Amino acid sequence: MQLVPVLASNSVLNISDVTKYYGKFKALDSVSFSVDKGWVYGYLGPNGAGKTTTIRIMLGLLEPNRGEVQIGGVNPIKDPVQAFRSVGYASELPTLQTFFTAEQLLDFMGKMFRLSTQARKEKTWQLLNLVGLKEWGKRKIGTYSKGMVQRLSLALALINDPMVLIMDEPTIGMDPEAAVNFRNLFINLSKEGKTIFISSHLLDEVQRICTHVGMINKGKILFSGPIDQVLDAFTQKWVVEVELEKVSEKIVSSLKTLDSVGDVKVDGNRLMIELKEKKDVRGEISSEIFKQQGVLLSLNLRKITLEDAYLQALKGGQ
Amino acid sequence: MGALGRVCEALERVGVIAGYEWRRGIAKKSVLALVILAVAIQTLVIVSNYEFNRSSGIVPSGNAFMWISTVLEGGAQALFIPLIAIIVAGGSMSEEYEHGTADILLSKPISRIEYMFGKFMGGYSLLALVEALITVVSVGLSIGFFGAQSDLQFAPLMFLAIAYSSLIFFCLSFMFSEVFRGTTLAILLAFAMYIASLVMTPILSFLYGNVSRVVPTWAATGFPSFLLSRLITASNTVLPSADTEALYEAALIIAVYTVVFVAIAALRLLKSDVTKKTD
Repeated sequence: MQLVPVLASNSVLNISDVTKYYGKFKALDSVSFSVDKGWVYGYLGPNGAGKTTTIRIMLGLLEPNRGEVQIGGVNPIKDPVQAFRSVGYASELPTLQTFFTAEQLLDFMGKMFRLSTQARKEKTWQLLNLVGLKEWGKRKIGTYSKGMVQRLSLALALINDPMVLIMDEPTIGMDPEAAVNFRNLFINLSKEGKTIFISSHLLDEVQRICTHVGMINKGKILFSGPIDQVLDAFTQKWVVEVELEKVSEKIVSSLKTLDSVGDVKVDGNRLMIELKEKKDVRGEISSEIFKQQGVLLSLNLRKITLEDAYLQALKGGQ
Repeated sequence: MGALGRVCEALERVGVIAGYEWRRGIAKKSVLALVILAVAIQTLVIVSNYEFNRSSGIVPSGNAFMWISTVLEGGAQALFIPLIAIIVAGGSMSEEYEHGTADILLSKPISRIEYMFGKFMGGYSLLALVEALITVVSVGLSIGFFGAQSDLQFAPLMFLAIAYSSLIFFCLSFMFSEVFRGTTLAILLAFAMYIASLVMTPILSFLYGNVSRVVPTWAATGFPSFLLSRLITASNTVLPSADTEALYEAALIIAVYTVVFVAIAALRLLKSDVTKKTD
C-alpha cells in the first residue's frame, strides 16, 4: 500500500510538487508532503536521496525549479523575514562561528530574532543549561568538540522559542547520554505543540520519537504518513528472524509453503519471515528448517521495525 | 506595520549583521596585523621625515602642511589601506560559504539583500575606522614632531575623501568574494587588479592621456588629493593642483565602480543557490 501525501489545510510545513535539478541531475522529483502542527516528522532516506536538498529548499537556501515550499503559509524564498520568525534550524555537523563564545553567538542569534536584551540574556543561559554547556558558555566555540558544537547548534535553534524546528541529523556526533536527553527534549517540545521535522539515518531514533514519517529515495517520496500506518503499509507487524549456517533455496521454498508465512526475504545467511498474523510459529518454522536439513543458529519473533519497512521500501522502490 | 516600521526593522537587521561583520573582521589576525603594521609604518615615515630634517638642518617650508602629506602619501594610506580593504572584503561573503555559516545566517528572518548590505556596511565601516585611526595618528604625530599644523579643519573631510576613494577596491574585492565564493581567489584577483591598475595608469596616461582616468587607481588615489587641493589655497601646499573637472570625474568614477561592483554581487546572491562547500 502506498500512502498518498495529503496536503492538509492546517499544515505548518507544506512541500508541494517540488522538483530540483543540479545541472542535469534531478535531485528532487515532484516531492510533496505536509507536516501539521504538533507532529514530529521523521524524514528518512539513504545518502543522496534528497533529504538535505529538501531541507535546504525549506530554508530558502535553494530555489526549486518547480513547485513551492510554505512555512506557516509563507514562501521562504519570497518572504524569509516572515517565514523564519518562528523557525529554528539545526544543521548536520554544523560549523559555527569559532570567533564567538557560545554566549556571544546565542546573543547574536537572539538579536536576529529581535529579542530584548533581557530576554536574550535569560534565554542564553537557560539554553546553555539545557544542552549541558553552561560551564562552556564563556569559552570560544573553536575550543569545542564536535558533539558540543552539535549541542550548541540545537540551543541556537531554540533561541527564538520556535513553533517549527527543522533538524538535519540532530543527534549525530553526540554521546549516547546526550542523544537520549535530546530525544526526550524533542518529545517534550512536541507535547508543547511545536512541530518538529527531523532528517535522520537513525531509524530507531525516528521510531521512538516521531509521530509521522516520510521516506525519500532517488529524489522521490516513497511514502508519507503516520508512523504506525507506514509500518502497516509495508508488511504485517510481526516477523521471525532466522539465522542459518547456510541458506538454501529448498529451505526458503518450503518455508513459503507454510500457512502462517506471508513472505520470506533472504539477506546473506539470514531469513526474514513475515507472518500473516501475530502468532508464535517459531516451533513450526524451526521444524520445517530441520526437515530441510538446515542448521539453525538463531530464531527470534519480533514486531517489525521501521528499519525493516525502510529496507523493504528501498529494495522495492515503492 | 507601516512602511516606516518595516524600513526600521530592515535597518535593524542590517545593523545586526554589520555588528557581526565587525566581530568577524576584528577576529581575523591578518587584518589586525595589517592595521598594526600600517600604524607603525605611518609613525616610522613621520619620525624619519623629522630625523632627516633635523640632521640635515633643513627647515622645509611645508612643515605646517606635513599632516597632509603624511595622511595622503605617508605610506600606510597609500599602500596598506587598499590591502586592508581587499582582505576585509575578500572574505566577507565567501568565508560564510566556505565555513558553512551562510546556511545558519540565511535561515534566519533576514532577506538576502539585508544580509549583503549588513556585511558590506560592517566591513566598510571597519575599514573606515582603520582609516580614521591612521588619519588621527598622522595628524597627531605631525603636530607632535613638526609643530602647529595648518588647515586642520579639513582633516575630517580628508578622512571622508579617503574613505570614499577606498570604496573602489573594497567593492571590487567584495564582488569577487560573492561571485567566486572563494576567499583566496577573491583576494588574489582583487590584489592583481590593484597592481595591474597601478602599473597601467602611467602607461595609459603616457599613451592615451585622459583615457587612463578609467583605471580604478586614478580615481582612488587622486580623489582625496584633488579635493584638498581645491580646499586648501596655500601656496606652499604639497598637493598637486587639480581642476574641478578632475575632481568631479574622480568622484563619479568611484561611484560608478561602486554601484557596478555592488550590483553584480547582489545579482549573484539573489539569483543563485546557497550551496554547501561539499555539494
